[in-house]
Amino acid sequence: MAGISLQRVSKRFGQVEAVSDLSLEIGSGEFAVFLGPSGCGKTTLLRMIAGLEDVSDGEIRIGGERVDHLAPGQRGVAMVFQHYALYPHMSVHDNMAFGLKNIGVARDEIARKVAAAVKMLEIEPLLQRKPTQLSGGQKQRVAIGRAIVKEPKAFLFDEPLSNLDAALRSRTRIELARLHQQVKSTMVFVTHDQVEAMTLATRIIVMNKGKIEQVGTPMDVYRRPATKFVATFVGTPAMNVLAGVLSEVGSMAMVTLKDGSPIRTSIKAAGLGGVREVEIGIRAEHVGSKGSIPATVEVVERLGDRSLVYGRLGDGTVVTFEEAGDIGLAIGDPVLLSFSPEHVHIFDAHGRAHQTA
Amino acid sequence: MTTITSLAVSAPAPRARKARAASRDPESVGRRSLWNLLFVAPFMLVFAGLVLLPVALGAWLSFQDYDMLSGYHGAVGWKNYIELWNDRIFIRSVGNTLWFVCLTTPAFVAIGLFLALALNNSWRSSAVFRSVFFGSSILSVTIVTLIWRLVYMQDRGLIANLLAPLGIPAPAFITSEALALPGIAIVTVWWIIGLPMMLFLAALQQIPRELYEAAALDNASRWRTLIWVTLPAIKRTVILVAVLEVVMQFQLFGQAHLITGGGPNNASRPIVMFIYEAGFRDWALGYAAAASQVLFVLMMAAALLQMWLGRTKAQG
Amino acid sequence: MSLGNTTRLDLADKVILGLVTALALLWLAPIIWVIGLSFKPNEVLMRDTRGVFSAPFTLKNYTDIIASSQVFSWMLNSVIVATGQTVLTLMLSTLAGYGFARTDFPGKRILFAVVLVGLAVPEQAIIVPLHTMFAAADLHNTYAGLIAPRLAFPFGVFLMTQYFRGVPREIEEAAMLDNASRFKIFVKVILPLTIPAQATLGIYTFLHAWNEYFWPLVSATKPEMYTLTIGLAAMQTNFAQTEGIGFLMAQAVFAGLPVFILYLFFQRHIINAVSGRVG
Repeated sequence: MAGISLQRVSKRFGQVEAVSDLSLEIGSGEFAVFLGPSGCGKTTLLRMIAGLEDVSDGEIRIGGERVDHLAPGQRGVAMVFQHYALYPHMSVHDNMAFGLKNIGVARDEIARKVAAAVKMLEIEPLLQRKPTQLSGGQKQRVAIGRAIVKEPKAFLFDEPLSNLDAALRSRTRIELARLHQQVKSTMVFVTHDQVEAMTLATRIIVMNKGKIEQVGTPMDVYRRPATKFVATFVGTPAMNVLAGVLSEVGSMAMVTLKDGSPIRTSIKAAGLGGVREVEIGIRAEHVGSKGSIPATVEVVERLGDRSLVYGRLGDGTVVTFEEAGDIGLAIGDPVLLSFSPEHVHIFDAHGRAHQTA
Repeated sequence: MTTITSLAVSAPAPRARKARAASRDPESVGRRSLWNLLFVAPFMLVFAGLVLLPVALGAWLSFQDYDMLSGYHGAVGWKNYIELWNDRIFIRSVGNTLWFVCLTTPAFVAIGLFLALALNNSWRSSAVFRSVFFGSSILSVTIVTLIWRLVYMQDRGLIANLLAPLGIPAPAFITSEALALPGIAIVTVWWIIGLPMMLFLAALQQIPRELYEAAALDNASRWRTLIWVTLPAIKRTVILVAVLEVVMQFQLFGQAHLITGGGPNNASRPIVMFIYEAGFRDWALGYAAAASQVLFVLMMAAALLQMWLGRTKAQG
Repeated sequence: MSLGNTTRLDLADKVILGLVTALALLWLAPIIWVIGLSFKPNEVLMRDTRGVFSAPFTLKNYTDIIASSQVFSWMLNSVIVATGQTVLTLMLSTLAGYGFARTDFPGKRILFAVVLVGLAVPEQAIIVPLHTMFAAADLHNTYAGLIAPRLAFPFGVFLMTQYFRGVPREIEEAAMLDNASRFKIFVKVILPLTIPAQATLGIYTFLHAWNEYFWPLVSATKPEMYTLTIGLAAMQTNFAQTEGIGFLMAQAVFAGLPVFILYLFFQRHIINAVSGRVG
């Protein structure tokens, strides 16, 4: 296994820049997840690492070796495609053996490697079947098996779970995590689903419009988002964002909302520059219902273990808050909200996020 | 630890490479490479030798005085074309061909459309009918003409036999100047009706079911549905079929050659037959080549005209 | 028009069905009549062709065919030429089709445009110079001479290009990551996945090669090189004086038998090719 190094990588399609001047170090053995909305460039980036797209500018290194001029097959990477891309006319066994045959591996060696992968993935009975005879989950495993037999320096996954139904998705997530434990290889995973990112990644790389917004562990990205984009993209329900005016109270920043409610924070006012118009962010689980900000209940969603309530403030903004268990609120009820000061984020005019130190 | 590794802060990398003038084909997979030319090379070589070269040679020949019998006499400019212009038989053949195209194209479109509309369902009988109407097109021109020469026989043909009890003599499709081309037209429509029918069927099957269902809910009668829903939806195919048939029928040869021999009195001689006779019977190659160029130009003009007419109709 | 699945037939439907049936009978009539004629003795037909479906019948016309060797040699020539054209067209079209469909190379746009233009060139526009070229190369009255010209027709290339583009790109990308060379991808992945399209093109090419008229007419001038289509045409020229209508019709039926069998088994493919669909 090997680390992947991207230095000032860009990709242009005609006039459109899909990836802009991006640099990143992925450590050996990491499970790195590229997370972002569609069009953010994450798949393009993955394909550039694989060699399926040329690099417009910059360099890519795998295991220290420069690879961006090499053909896909020569980079020592294996890819699991979104729609599996199994060879329909070949049996499962031949699908897995094809790559090894092409580089001239001896037959008994191929048999050994295929047997090992097949055992790990528990797909022995499927060996002679054709892909059309397999279920989605089985195809998924064969696709992974095809990657494993190559013993690559890195595994690349292109949104492999998006084709699966919800139940299968969570099961496969666990299996992928287990796979990473067993194989201990570098894995690069692309997805737009932040739950997948949070659960699988050792580090998440949040991307937007061809650039990296933040790189960090799942908890870092969740608790200390670097930008407004990351703050609102990660986490369900989405973080509440409210506009307000900045002032200072005892060296800490304070924001006054449009309806006049004062929000205290634990963020040092000094680090914020001289901006007056700011936005604050606060997650639903950090909003309480026994405070002083008046709101009217609009919608109540009871999920069983918790309830989500959507309340409308005096100035029209909707705030989501969360309570454990059932909640005794009905539509139209008045409620007084509180924002936990330690958990307030402030977003400045550049979209950068500031949190309690 | 939280780190922001985006390098928006530092200066952008110098654009070392200018944007490539030719953007690559989005349908392709993998790198642009000269080696890939090897895939298309065999065909391109054959194509160059057997299509491009003859096209160029034909154009060149049309400006030469080259007769297989009397030999090569050098370039003569527009002489062949001027001779064609003054050649009564050639002019007649152009007229014949145009008349033939006018006879057959509407028939192909109308009958083909009718059959497609009538047979666009999943009944067993329709499948049989479709097979029948398409089946005639798999026969070679010699079989077809053999059949129809017999059918057209004045005294003992099928038509004669059928009309005899009624006391009507069979129309003289082969021996009458006025009826020769129509006779060939009938044979041609009988022969290749399958193609337009199939093209229309394919187009009809593309029409989404929901359109018909919406029309039904809008209380549209069958006739109205046909005029206002079905036909507009296949307008492009109608134009396509018309253009296709025009182009194909300009190339009329076998039927005329074998049934009427171009007669009587040049009444059914098409351009291609003229080319055949000039080139392979009289061996006046330069002359025949010139006639070929004229044919080509006429065909292109007719096809373009059709397409232009079709486009303005579609927009209007 | 008819929504297709209703079982109730209204008056309009009945009229249309009647019309179509009448047309179908009209279409079949000549063929049935001719088949009937082939079973009648020539002497009878010299006088009168009306009694097609009544005695006397005879198989003599057909036995005469088998006795005379010509039809079989014509058929052999047709088989050789059609098979040769089919095999070679498939090879050229699949290679070029893949090249245009999924690979990128300098000049691709231009070359494709040139091929597109070639689609507009009719056979008749180039037959005279083609004949002159082949005469100079002494290729007339040879199998190669009969097979060659149609190989250059771009239809096959377009058909294959269209169909190859239907193979998901991911499969080729997976093969590239599997270290397969471009040619290996073509042979081991693309070709096996597109057999229906190749069958369609193959059958279509065979049929057209079998029925070809103009080129064999001017290129195969020696009777021993006649294809079935040309041989039958040669017999036709003055059939009023030939061995007899019955015999001639039997030859026509005989000549039509192979394509009829082809039609019986491969109707779907032929229709698909003609309407530009694949598989």
